[in-house]
Amino acid sequence: MSVDTGSALPPAISVAGLRRVYETKPQPVVALAGVDLEVRPGEFFGLLGPNGAGKTTLIKILTTLLLPTSGEARIFGFDVSTESNRIRRIMNMVAGGEQSGYGILTVREQLWMFTQFYGLEAREGWRRVDELIEAVGMGDQRLQRVSTLSTGQRQKMNMARGLLNDPWILFLDEPTLGLDVAAARGIRDLVLAWKAAVPGRTVLLTTHYMAEADELCERIAIVDHGRILAIGTPDELKKRVQRESIFRLEVDHLDGGAPSLARLPGVVSASLAADSDPEQQRVAVNLVLTEDAALGAVVSALGGLGSQILALRKSEPTLEDVFVELVGRGFSEETEPPVPVGAEA
Amino acid sequence: MSAITSPGHGSGPASPVPAGLGQLDAGRFDPKRTEGAGLADTVRSLRTALLLGWRIESNWTDPTLFVIYTVAKPVASLLLLVVMIQIIGGSASDATRTFVILGSALWATVIAGIQGPAWSVLDDRERYRMLKYVAVSPSRLLVTLVGRGGARLAAGAMGTAVALLFSVIILGLRIDLGAVQWPYLLVVLVLGIVPVIAIGVVLAAICLQTRQESWSYPDALAGAMFLVTGVVFPLAVLPDPIEVLGLLNPITWWVDGVRRAIVPSGPSSIGGQGSLWTAVTGTSAPDGLQVIAALLLTGALVTLAATAIFRSSERRARDQGLLDRTTGS
Repeated sequence: MSVDTGSALPPAISVAGLRRVYETKPQPVVALAGVDLEVRPGEFFGLLGPNGAGKTTLIKILTTLLLPTSGEARIFGFDVSTESNRIRRIMNMVAGGEQSGYGILTVREQLWMFTQFYGLEAREGWRRVDELIEAVGMGDQRLQRVSTLSTGQRQKMNMARGLLNDPWILFLDEPTLGLDVAAARGIRDLVLAWKAAVPGRTVLLTTHYMAEADELCERIAIVDHGRILAIGTPDELKKRVQRESIFRLEVDHLDGGAPSLARLPGVVSASLAADSDPEQQRVAVNLVLTEDAALGAVVSALGGLGSQILALRKSEPTLEDVFVELVGRGFSEETEPPVPVGAEA
Repeated sequence: MSAITSPGHGSGPASPVPAGLGQLDAGRFDPKRTEGAGLADTVRSLRTALLLGWRIESNWTDPTLFVIYTVAKPVASLLLLVVMIQIIGGSASDATRTFVILGSALWATVIAGIQGPAWSVLDDRERYRMLKYVAVSPSRLLVTLVGRGGARLAAGAMGTAVALLFSVIILGLRIDLGAVQWPYLLVVLVLGIVPVIAIGVVLAAICLQTRQESWSYPDALAGAMFLVTGVVFPLAVLPDPIEVLGLLNPITWWVDGVRRAIVPSGPSSIGGQGSLWTAVTGTSAPDGLQVIAALLLTGALVTLAATAIFRSSERRARDQGLLDRTTGS
């Protein structure tokens, strides 16, 4: 399959100088402090940041639920402030962490109702609903009342609702929030399968689960206090903090101990790991190298020492490391209070 | 705009794509898809909202309780008023009893129509958490709320019918079916539906903005309107400024028109001794055509105002981020 993103095709998302200020008391709060962002058609883009970072505010503006205070946001070239009716036909959204749904309707009825709101013919709507119910794996619950669904089932139904109009862009706001591991995996697999089925489909995901963003997103923007701190592929972002190569090496024995490796050229440091167990012929060493190429000297030296390599694994920095590097605090640490107007610089 | 093209599923990966994940259209980004089908979409949304409203109305508990609720509430209200009249008025005339019974029975429809759109906002936002999903669909929120209000009005009309039946069988209300002006009744009933729901839309616009205690607003407004629309007593007993408010309210003309159609010889709630109508026009009461004209005029004004107010409220709700804000009320 191929994607012809012809030159005239506008970006899936185009945001310039976007600001949103909530007029709260005792003083207004800046939720978005001048965001610039562009997402290409066909991208799986992630917004990663802690609670209160501004992710949900941005997604609300892009989904036409909220107006910006200033700046511009466009979806496939259409302005979110003045052309919301056009945008609503080609996008959809699913939020997590909520118990939404008309409890008195069956799954099938609720979905069909939305096909009508999206302008499908009645019969076409039923066909679409039945196909999607099968696609999300809710065949057994199709005639079940929404009020009787589990949290995971309800979120699957919401995903089906989000796909009813075959959106060109799908906004996912913390879609796996509050789900157990298996249900979250099911949602992620569904989104990936949907996106892979047709080139050009675009997804914007907000999450504060770093592993989820790492797994799903082609590019990620790290957001905090209403600003985008960095944008890039997960690898690009990690390389920002990876100045050295870190390996974990396991050998059957190591004559001379870790210092025998620390003296080698290109080795910054070598230290015995806490879980080493020489009596069981398993010695683990944490190696910090100036670059990956220095590993050759280490392997040669081990051969000379008669050590047999049991395992060798490169330690990758995580997106949390990136966040800590950018913000100076961890994801789960207490966030600073929201930024008051006038103090955002 | 150019296009994103796809060669289709046939040349794709080996694993088959579930039908639901495939494309609805030809796989191109066609700007025409953003335009919709205009009136056809509006009609479809209205029909769907009516259906949804009816399902919510008729399924809020089980059918037996629904019927009891539909019967019990209007009949209880009716009985309360009739007993009060008997106690206070003693030998109240048949005409007075008929006046009160008809007005009270009709009120079940009016109050349901007024509450419908407002409670739909509150239900969807606070209970079902679906308001934002309806709001971001191409269907206009105003259209869906009108549909939901229409469904509730239909449920209210059932209550009116039950209350009238009860009045005939139990309270001895005498309605000469041969004297009923059926065509006139039909015209007035139809003309009244729109302004009743329009007033509900105004309330819905208010509920979009308010955060707490919104559930009581429809009842509060309906209670106030009950006093100024000639439902149980003529406008002439009201102070002049309040009477003016009543005359500007389409519900006043609707209730009077329906009464006039069912009991052509009965008293009017609008004219009579001491009324503004009589003072200004010199006639004892408006005739049938005047009632329809006034209903049309006030109904059109209220409907236009309601549309403008709701649009303004919706815009403000988007500006303030109120469409998905649950208040816990």
